[in-house]
Amino acid sequence: MKDFFATFKHDTWVMPYLRKYKKLLALTLFLGLMTFFCGSALMFNSGYLISKAARHPYNILMIYVPIVLTRAFGIGRPAFRYAERITSHNWVLRIVSDFRKKLYQAVEKQAVAIRQNFQTGDVLSLLADDIDHIENLYLRTVFPTVIALMMYVLIVIALGYFSWWFGLLMLLLLGLIVIVMPLLSVLVNGARETQSRAIQQTFYTQLTDAVMGLGDWLISGRRADFNARQAAPIDEIAQLRRADHQFQWWRDFTIQLIFGVICLALMVWSSFYWTSNRDSANWIAAFVLSVFPLVDAFQSVSQGVSEWPSYQRSIVRVNDLDTAPVDDHDQTILTEPFSVLRVGQIDFRYPAGQRQIFNQLSLTLKAGEKLALLGPSGTGKSTLLKLILGDLQPDAGTIQLNDVPIAHLQNERAQLFGVLDQQPYLFNTTIMNNVRMGNLQATDDQVKAALEAVELAPMIDALPDGYDTMVAEGGARFSGGERQRLALARILLQDAPIIILDEPTVSLDPITEAHLLATVFRVLHDKTILWVTHHLAGINYVDQVRFLEDGQFDMAGTPQELYATAPRFKRLYDLDQGRD
Amino acid sequence: MFDPALFKLPGMRRLTVILALLAVIEGICIIIQAQFMSVAIVGLWHLKALGTVLQPMLIFAIAWTMRQLLVVVKNKLMYPVVEKTTGDLRRQVMQKLYDLGPSYVAKTGTGNVVTTALEGIDKVQTYLMLVVIKVIDMMVIPWVILIYIAWLRWREALFLLAIFPLIILFMIILGYAAQAKADRQYVGYQRMSNHFVDTLRGLPTLKQLGLSKRYAENVYQVSEGYRKQTLAVIKIAMLSTFALDFFTTLSIAVVAVFLGFGLIDGSITLLPALVILVLSPDYFLPLRTFASDYHATLNGKNAFAAVQKMLALPIATDRDQLGDQPLAWQADSTLSLQQVAFSYDDAQPALSQLNIQAHGYQRIGIIGASGSGKSTLINLLGGFLTPTAGHGTIKVNGQTVTHLNQTAWQQSFFYIPQNPYLFHATLAENIAFYQPDAGLSAIGAAADKAGLTAWIKTLPDGLNTAIGEGSRGVSGGQAQRIALARAFLDKSRKILLFDEPTAHLDIETEAALKQTILPVLDDHLVFFATHRLHWINQMDYVLVVDHGQIVEQGTPTELTAHDGAYVQLRNEMGGGK
Repeated sequence: MKDFFATFKHDTWVMPYLRKYKKLLALTLFLGLMTFFCGSALMFNSGYLISKAARHPYNILMIYVPIVLTRAFGIGRPAFRYAERITSHNWVLRIVSDFRKKLYQAVEKQAVAIRQNFQTGDVLSLLADDIDHIENLYLRTVFPTVIALMMYVLIVIALGYFSWWFGLLMLLLLGLIVIVMPLLSVLVNGARETQSRAIQQTFYTQLTDAVMGLGDWLISGRRADFNARQAAPIDEIAQLRRADHQFQWWRDFTIQLIFGVICLALMVWSSFYWTSNRDSANWIAAFVLSVFPLVDAFQSVSQGVSEWPSYQRSIVRVNDLDTAPVDDHDQTILTEPFSVLRVGQIDFRYPAGQRQIFNQLSLTLKAGEKLALLGPSGTGKSTLLKLILGDLQPDAGTIQLNDVPIAHLQNERAQLFGVLDQQPYLFNTTIMNNVRMGNLQATDDQVKAALEAVELAPMIDALPDGYDTMVAEGGARFSGGERQRLALARILLQDAPIIILDEPTVSLDPITEAHLLATVFRVLHDKTILWVTHHLAGINYVDQVRFLEDGQFDMAGTPQELYATAPRFKRLYDLDQGRD
Repeated sequence: MFDPALFKLPGMRRLTVILALLAVIEGICIIIQAQFMSVAIVGLWHLKALGTVLQPMLIFAIAWTMRQLLVVVKNKLMYPVVEKTTGDLRRQVMQKLYDLGPSYVAKTGTGNVVTTALEGIDKVQTYLMLVVIKVIDMMVIPWVILIYIAWLRWREALFLLAIFPLIILFMIILGYAAQAKADRQYVGYQRMSNHFVDTLRGLPTLKQLGLSKRYAENVYQVSEGYRKQTLAVIKIAMLSTFALDFFTTLSIAVVAVFLGFGLIDGSITLLPALVILVLSPDYFLPLRTFASDYHATLNGKNAFAAVQKMLALPIATDRDQLGDQPLAWQADSTLSLQQVAFSYDDAQPALSQLNIQAHGYQRIGIIGASGSGKSTLINLLGGFLTPTAGHGTIKVNGQTVTHLNQTAWQQSFFYIPQNPYLFHATLAENIAFYQPDAGLSAIGAAADKAGLTAWIKTLPDGLNTAIGEGSRGVSGGQAQRIALARAFLDKSRKILLFDEPTAHLDIETEAALKQTILPVLDDHLVFFATHRLHWINQMDYVLVVDHGQIVEQGTPTELTAHDGAYVQLRNEMGGGK
């Protein structure tokens, strides 16, 4: 219970939305309540109807009202239910729209920290799933529970009106069903949830090992080991499911027994309360029969509530996102055209990191210069780019464009920097729209000109839908080289003075790479370029080469100088050219 | 509703009979419970004292308990069969996976395979648990109840009988209508529901383009559009549930009114009327519970079909044409491929007219532009792909084999791809994957030869550090060294298949790794697919692949002299300035 309240203590995702669309929410709950009311009332009324009819009234008019009501309730129940379904979905989907926007804004703040690798893709899908989870929390847990509780209160009050002691008894018996059993379920399930996740995780791990490492398994010839490794988690999962099912069966059984007891209690109560005369005895069947339709409404509460632990995790996760607005009062703009980028004696170390990444590192890049940055992986090439873009702050030293610190130019970033990285993202819209994202004001002709410049025009013309071809999700329709070219066209339209190339050719084969680099340096000839690369193909396109090693530059110069004076550079260059 | 494959499951026929019998008993319990509850109510209605109706109340209580107990009993009977079936399915899927090999995974996608084995079978479990009992209940219990009602009064029974097919008919018609509407909207619908994830994934790019802030409104608008479309579909989809609800509740109302009239004109007394009224909801109950789980059963049915389909896939036979012991590849051993071809899905040939003669400890380089078929050729040589039947011949040491998916052959080579897979295990276990019985000192020595010692010293538990996804990160260069350490540890495997082992590495790592790889190449038959020029200098024979064919082959010197595809490719690879 403490746990439950702790979840909502700093909640900004669930509670505020319950308030936001109050009217629709009230309508949903009302319709849900009416559904069950009509269901019960139909049986109540029918019971009364036949009891009354069995007294042989003088004429049909005596039972006319119950007959009409029977039909009304009979039609009312499905109609209310239908309306309830529609409004509850409408309400939930409205909330989802708000959620999505909010989640987007929260993630947007950390956009660059989240790199586009496989795992972040997972994290993002996870967050998207969390929203679906919260959607289900409302539909499967909150609505049924609240409706059942309202029904519970109404029944207890109504029966308490006839006799207080019987109302009290129902308070207890129905309380077992709508309060005690759900709490018990969530308790049992919560304990099992942790265990279940651990087992699922093991199984998932074994499974990925089996699937991704299948080639190794096959040629190792270790078939018996392969089978043995899967066996343990399979049995554990089975055991877990068995325990789960057992609990559910006996829980539902208990709930049904309680309903049986409620039926008997109603009969006993009726025998005292409704047997004073023949007319009042007509109500006995009504009361007893009205119990059965309630079983549906009340039984689902336990199952819904027992799913709480999995929802809780989602709620905690989205609440952990930082949704505070960004402070940008110190932002300014660059008034002069870009002339120089200065990195002055910076020190940097990641907050949790052991190692000093940069030690008094300096770099000057004048407008129009082209510089290649090399170094073994892990030396901080990407970190340097993040510092230059302002996603990270140096511990000491300065990074300035002209004379303005980069930290104050964050709002103008897209006008200053164009970035082509390893996996530029293509959105699932048309080619035209994807490229136009570089500059939303660009005309169709400008977009086509950019695509022409990056040599994609012939390929696009050959597509059946031409420039309106949809880019399938993640750009899967195009090859690696084509994707980079589309992104390059986007950068051309963006027309920023400084272009950051972050290993754009890492996943391309040498021939595609050579062609792409030729295009890149041709179309960007008038830009300032900072190029992080992993090998030396195309190195002659640049004016300056820097090798990063142990937090400093240990080789610097033009490619020609380095080839002549630095044996290490010569050796690597020869290797790259196949002269080794 | 019932998948015929269900009956093929072991023990299912017998179970079906038992469950049907239990359903009959359950139906009888429902009747007894309704009968005696009505007796008690009618007693009270006649203003009799509580004492006189205690006996029927007790019988009602017993029948009610029995009925609920039967539900548990049926589940308990069903569950072991379901558990065994899903457990068996999981095991079969894993074994089948081993038989199908990595080419199946490559074709189907890792994600899909994992989903089938994990969630797919979970869904099958839910499906089996739900569908069998519910379908049997639906086919038995309403009839038992109906017979009793008919015995009491045939008119109401006739009405209830007539309405049943009508309900099903309406559900089907409305179900189709909803499906048709959903299908029409599907494409746009799908795009909208994926739009959000698409946008999240593209966020870094949006930020680079300066669009990320204003895109928030777009996210909201698309989501609202999605809401409106979803509601339009739901409005129709829910009609089917509405029809079920409408007809069942209205039928009960109609029965109640019928009975009312019957009572007034004295053609029936209160007791049978009450029994009929109490029984009518129970008559519809099995249909309603089945319908409420219909979607879960549909998902489960599809998952079940997918699993069955995978299990029915053909697997390689004749895997022991070279015996089941590893080959002893020697300086005079030979491998020959004559006119061998291969195609994915029997369409365009991916490889054709392959002629390769390899012998002893040759080093054979395989070069070609990307997409030319280098990797396909390596996969064919590794036996992960099966050549087109009836095309050409493959011989190992003179012995003809139909494919290279041979137990003996596969236990004689190492395969080192671009990204060697690292298992979720310790570093030592990863290195000793091919030699699980190797001692720690042997593993250490192999790691040392692979140049891992310096790195291992930085690890908290040395060789016993857990690696693999989710554990400690391992760089691409280190992953290659771990794969090489496997080769150093197991000296009995004399054949090496490399598939662009250094393609993604930075030049310095590549240069350092090359020094480690070179000694491994000695005394091995090597197939080395690459597009890095410097490796070709280490080969003593080269196959030039283009459009799935070997367009040139020979020693590097011969090929250079020939001035053909090889020379052209070298020039292009060295391209740029």
